[in-house]
Amino acid sequence: MLTEVHVPEEVPAVLSLVASGARVIGGGTSLMPWLNDHASPPTELVSLRRTGLAGVHRAGSTVAIGAATTLSQVEHDARLEVLNPVVRSIASVPVRNLATVGGNLFARQPYGDLAVAFVALNARATLVDENGTSELPVEDIVAADRRSVLVTAVAFERPGPGTFKYVKAARRRYNSASVVTVAATITESDGIVTGARVALGGVGARVVRAHAVEDALVGRQLTDSNVQAAGQAGLSELSPADDAYASAWYRTRVFPVHLRRALLGR
Amino acid sequence: MSIKIVNLKVNGVDRAFMAKPETTLLLALREQLGLTGAKRGCAQGACGSCTVLLDGAPVVSCLVPAATIDGADIATVEGLADGQELSDVQQAFLDGFATQCGFCTPGMIMSAEALLSRNPNPTTAEVNEAISGNVCRCTGYEPIVSAILDAAQRRRRSLGTRADATAGEEATL
Repeated sequence: MLTEVHVPEEVPAVLSLVASGARVIGGGTSLMPWLNDHASPPTELVSLRRTGLAGVHRAGSTVAIGAATTLSQVEHDARLEVLNPVVRSIASVPVRNLATVGGNLFARQPYGDLAVAFVALNARATLVDENGTSELPVEDIVAADRRSVLVTAVAFERPGPGTFKYVKAARRRYNSASVVTVAATITESDGIVTGARVALGGVGARVVRAHAVEDALVGRQLTDSNVQAAGQAGLSELSPADDAYASAWYRTRVFPVHLRRALLGR
Repeated sequence: MSIKIVNLKVNGVDRAFMAKPETTLLLALREQLGLTGAKRGCAQGACGSCTVLLDGAPVVSCLVPAATIDGADIATVEGLADGQELSDVQQAFLDGFATQCGFCTPGMIMSAEALLSRNPNPTTAEVNEAISGNVCRCTGYEPIVSAILDAAQRRRRSLGTRADATAGEEATL
């Protein structure tokens, strides 16, 4: 249950409240369902709503998104067009008007589809603690439980046209958690894959960076048979769970299909 | 635990109430401000029956701690009618039998209002996406989607009529 809600206007105040045990709340779309169950343990919150951490900045080919930026703000920002299919696959309009970019990094799989996309885009997160500011790849943030860290922004290099691929398979067309999410940045030269970053959601306790899939793609053409082989190679990297959306068996079974749909568009 | 005074402008009127830490916007509206249009459905943000407009944007009010939104502008279904005259969206829901038990209706209407403010000529697909956060157990959604498209048409027509009338006046001056 909620014992206190702080609404500071500066990041240092957030840090000292976190140091004394408060939890950071962005849009509340992960935390509040848990806290609305009054059996949850006594919890103090510090809200980012007034800290000025929302906003989008573009400098050349780099885009930086403030951690408190809502998914709706991402949806309606032309500079973030590459993320448009990603955010629109998440929840629904009234949830996206609250949910934040930073919060999505800490949403547990099979939620957290924006985090999956950020891993595929090789995004970096700006962190602030009492020692100052640092940067970490989003991939490292989502790989471990880092609840004591404050993310203030996420930045990435805008990918070349047509290189970012995204498919989220879910039980319903809208407002549904992931069965399998595939996000990939694939670069090609003369029809040969020269670079591949493939991130998966819904198929493990955390975002999966699918190294085996990448290794099976690089240096080859993006053909049906090569993509199928890459899908088979990726099976060893999956550790999906049974949940209300799909069984582990089903997720494993359909993963190669959704990988193909993401990479080949069919 | 501290209790805060929260000030909101609700349907154009300044309101204030005492918020405990666990007071969500939904509970404040229902239990302290007498506005029971927004409904308690899931407390998870999944059903949308609590949807109201926060600074013009539809949100699931069950997930908003009231203490975080001091000074905000809130619009609920109670603010739509002009006395006894229903809004165009409300009337379209009535005329189109888009409400049966009525539980999802306030949330649906607020989502529709937000859509039409942003997009006066939505496609069916755009309506579907706009109400994708509002669950209805009764209607099967089709009459709701039709009513929203109908309301959009009524609103475009009425704005068109007023624009024509103004143009007519200017021409005779």
